[in-house]
Amino acid sequence: MFLELGGDGGDPMAVISVSHISKTFEGVCAVCDLSFAVEAGSCFGLLGPNGAGKTTMMKTIYGAAARDKKCSGTIEVFGFDPARDELSIKYLSGVVPQENNLDEELNVVQNLLVYAKFYGLPARVARERIEALLSFLELSEKVKARIRELSGGMKRRLVIARALLNNPRLLILDEPTTGLDPQVRHLIWEKLRQLRAGGTTILLTTHYMEEAFQICDRVLIMDKGRRVMEDQPQRLMEQNIERYVLEVPQEQAAVIDSRELPEAVRVDHALGISRFYCDDLDRLKVVTDMLDGHPYYLRQANLEDVFLKATGRGLNEKQ
Amino acid sequence: MRSSEAVPYPHLAWRLYSVWYRHMRVYTKNLVSNGLPPFLEPLLFLAGVGLGLGRYITESMDGMSYLTFLGTGLLVTTAMFTASFECTYATFIRLEFDKVYDGMLAAPITVNNLIVGEILWAGTKGLFFSFAVLCILTPFGIVHIPHALPAPLVGFLTGVMFASMSLLVTSFVKTINHFNFYMTGFLSPMFFFAGVVFPVSNLPRPVQFVAEIVPLTHSVRLVRAVCVSRYDLGLLADMVYILVFVAIVGALAVRRLRRRLVS
Repeated sequence: MFLELGGDGGDPMAVISVSHISKTFEGVCAVCDLSFAVEAGSCFGLLGPNGAGKTTMMKTIYGAAARDKKCSGTIEVFGFDPARDELSIKYLSGVVPQENNLDEELNVVQNLLVYAKFYGLPARVARERIEALLSFLELSEKVKARIRELSGGMKRRLVIARALLNNPRLLILDEPTTGLDPQVRHLIWEKLRQLRAGGTTILLTTHYMEEAFQICDRVLIMDKGRRVMEDQPQRLMEQNIERYVLEVPQEQAAVIDSRELPEAVRVDHALGISRFYCDDLDRLKVVTDMLDGHPYYLRQANLEDVFLKATGRGLNEKQ
Repeated sequence: MRSSEAVPYPHLAWRLYSVWYRHMRVYTKNLVSNGLPPFLEPLLFLAGVGLGLGRYITESMDGMSYLTFLGTGLLVTTAMFTASFECTYATFIRLEFDKVYDGMLAAPITVNNLIVGEILWAGTKGLFFSFAVLCILTPFGIVHIPHALPAPLVGFLTGVMFASMSLLVTSFVKTINHFNFYMTGFLSPMFFFAGVVFPVSNLPRPVQFVAEIVPLTHSVRLVRAVCVSRYDLGLLADMVYILVFVAIVGALAVRRLRRRLVS
């Protein structure tokens, strides 16, 4: 592998270069003129509410969805266009789809052996790799288990093991930890960090802000098919939201006279909660003193606050 | 970042084989419940006809006893039914409920590979089901080996043909119950009017004409010729029909299912 500079534009260090891509379903724009690049060895997160177009964008990258024919945009993955070279891309990548589509009839190791055939792995190599992957994902004791005996977290880890069968240089994960308990989520995050440390490039979608904050080097927040903002998670927070948030049930917040609020405190009322944002913790403490002992929750702002500020608190028709 | 060398993904034959292998592994996982009925079904059928119905039918049909006439027909109808079920209900479940295809398409295979592999698998099931019928017919002296030995190959062709057609039907189906129309409206009538249960030659002209159009008629004619080693040039027309049918209907099925699999 070598780096070829000055190709058809785009970032030469990028494993994935997406440039001005659109995808329309029955007149509705699922992905609208989206551009981004994923650098080799980094973890890139696509964030957005359900229906934002994350999965569609991700599928166009490995050829499971076709971009609009009339859009003049380009996608390059390892220099290949998924519309023409999906096999090359899929051979170099591992994909964890949103749903765990394992073969229920087969046990754990059989599922992986069948899948190893798609990569043309010789049986001996496949067996060695499967053993290593099951150990890596802490599933070694479940080698012979039937799929329906596995918990949700085990199934998810098995699908990740399946995606890693061919030692992919790019790992694509669609909502890797949705619906899983905290222990499994932290385990999966740790494994993804280890893979990234080993040089694997990772692209994932999520609507967990914590997940993006924990493992992504860069996140792109999208809403209704469009880019809302993109940056390193820390910078997104620094530049788009105050450092602290005070949350109070709206009826209790009614006692607070907004005219008496300290300076630089921003208020937002939504879905029964009033939120007071400020960079200065002491000023929010002044607000808590106005609450006459009512309960409140004072915390650091997180990516979720940025996200909700960016995409709005109302639901869209797909949520 | 560019790859300097070509990516060594598996070649076409291997990709088709890997799809076929996946189906074969899943099918053989329950060997007893999946593998036994193909042998029991013809046994029951022959018992019913041989012990009961057969004695009332003394006239020979197309120059053979009724048991041979019907038995040879079963060699291909069993392939028709198994391939049709595989590529309607089973395919639909893989497509819509289990999302098996989404998982498979994340591996280095194309939609075309997936569908052609599926057709080849259904053909293999046709071959196996035909073989099971042959295993039952032979000890009863209804057909004779070695000349009936190629009959399962006709079962394979029949399986491939009905797999292509069933996949085309599946590409139109929105809910799984719609397959009932295909089963009772198309396959069952074919069972009766394609020369399996009685010869079509005595039917009214229009019915005969329809019988020539539907696929099963050609399979039945081929398999009977094989079983009694009575080859003639007319069989070439049946072969051509089958090959052209598979090519056209199979291509249409691939095209339509691609739209469903690749959004």
